[in-house]
Amino acid sequence: MKKLLALLLALAMVGSLAACSTSDTTAPADDTAGTADTGDTADTTDTADAADTGDAADDGAADAPAESDLAYIQDKGTLVVGITNFEPMDYHPEGSDTEWIGFDADMAKAFAEYLGVEVEFSEINWDYKFMELDARNIDCIWNGMTITDEVLSSASVSNPYCLNAQVLVVPADRAADFEGLTSLEGYNVAVESGSAGEDAAIALGAATIPVQAQSNTLLEVSAGTADAAVIDLLMAGAMIGEGTSYADLTYTLNLNEAQGLESEEYGVGFRQGSDLVDTFNTFWAEKVADGTVLETATTYGLQESVILD
Amino acid sequence: MIAFFTSDQFQTILAALNSGFLKTLQLFCITLVGAIPLGLVISFGSMSRFPPLRWLVRLVVWVVRGTPLVLQIIALFYVPGIQRWFNWPSGETGRMMAVCVAFVINYACYFSEIFRGGIQGVPVGQREAGQVLGMTKGQIFRHVTLLQMIKRIVPPMSNEIITLVKDTSLARVIALQEVIWMGESFMKGNQGISGLVWPLFFTAVYYLVFSGVVTVLLGRLEKKLEFFR
Repeated sequence: MKKLLALLLALAMVGSLAACSTSDTTAPADDTAGTADTGDTADTTDTADAADTGDAADDGAADAPAESDLAYIQDKGTLVVGITNFEPMDYHPEGSDTEWIGFDADMAKAFAEYLGVEVEFSEINWDYKFMELDARNIDCIWNGMTITDEVLSSASVSNPYCLNAQVLVVPADRAADFEGLTSLEGYNVAVESGSAGEDAAIALGAATIPVQAQSNTLLEVSAGTADAAVIDLLMAGAMIGEGTSYADLTYTLNLNEAQGLESEEYGVGFRQGSDLVDTFNTFWAEKVADGTVLETATTYGLQESVILD
Repeated sequence: MIAFFTSDQFQTILAALNSGFLKTLQLFCITLVGAIPLGLVISFGSMSRFPPLRWLVRLVVWVVRGTPLVLQIIALFYVPGIQRWFNWPSGETGRMMAVCVAFVINYACYFSEIFRGGIQGVPVGQREAGQVLGMTKGQIFRHVTLLQMIKRIVPPMSNEIITLVKDTSLARVIALQEVIWMGESFMKGNQGISGLVWPLFFTAVYYLVFSGVVTVLLGRLEKKLEFFR
């Protein structure tokens, strides 16, 4: 009986905790989230019933896709773009730690202008990109994101706008061993957990070492804890070789070619079922037609990779 | 060697690490300022003579101490948005707020147990002496129990505070740009500098200096409180 009472009280506490945080931040919630159903959550406080908390949550989530994402963004007046610091897509120019430039950043600024809203860049933890999107901390993921099945199942993705490939990074003095390989069996390969590179390495039979970021895979190779790493071609260009801490690393193998696959494609991710996808595709087609896309891509050395049809 | 420390690259990296470390400091201070009073309140709850309140508080302390802080940060930051309860303010402000709330709650629970130990460790005779002197309950608590408890809890609190210095690095899980995040940013590329590993390891200097300062300050506090014995 005592235990039962304790359990009941615990549930009440959970309910009241949730309610407390609601009331604390009522002001920003009203501004940013039109759907926040304060009525329901207030009821939850009174009854302090775990079952009710669940109901309120479900209602809120169910409401979301029905409402126009475009209207939501125009209403709040900012497009929050989820990015990581990734040259040449989104990065700080030399000597600035607040401004964002890059192919994706410049196009995102143009897209916000097209929507008639302000643009805001928010650095995120790439592992939680879809949670960021669902929680409305960001409105889109626009950071050289390779379109994979996982991406397609977790977000609504734009038409592809850029090509990419996964490459194998190895110590320069061992590069010859990896030349022309079609299988990576017997090698320990560091990959970014959940990346397209991880899928490619597994498909080629490598024993993978998943780490948190593409940059960390290089640390593994350089420290000798992995034989090789798989990262994006665009990133490999920026991160290894002369003038970096990884001057003794090089990339040899294009994993897409090794698997006999097409190149990968980059897309912009929006919330599931968002009407922004169509708006984006229209916007992009216009910018391709008037030459803005090619011009911006050329600025960042991506004229070969960008998709113009 | 000197050329390296005066180079533009070093200056840029140092500026970035400094801005990251300011966030670390901010989080550290807010956590201490928030968690100490909250911890005291929780410790009263866990010593309450009303059993349901006592069980409830101890249950909460168990949950908070029994789950990883990193998980609490993630839950606190993402769940309200996903469930459409409310949104944290956008950008870094919201991330900082969420992280602060998580740290204050987490550390308050740890502190509360230290406070409870400190309060219960004051001999009954001290309280009785207060009663003999005709002090009220409030006076006894403030002038006798609390004062002696402070002296007792300094060493265990120092432990927690030093741990807090380093725990602040967990905030990067939701992309709060504290000093480790900034250090890592130069591996991948930041402000035209990429592929550098040393800034990450260099952040150790910040932690060492800071925990050194904290250790000295806490040592002085301990000395100041020595007159009790």
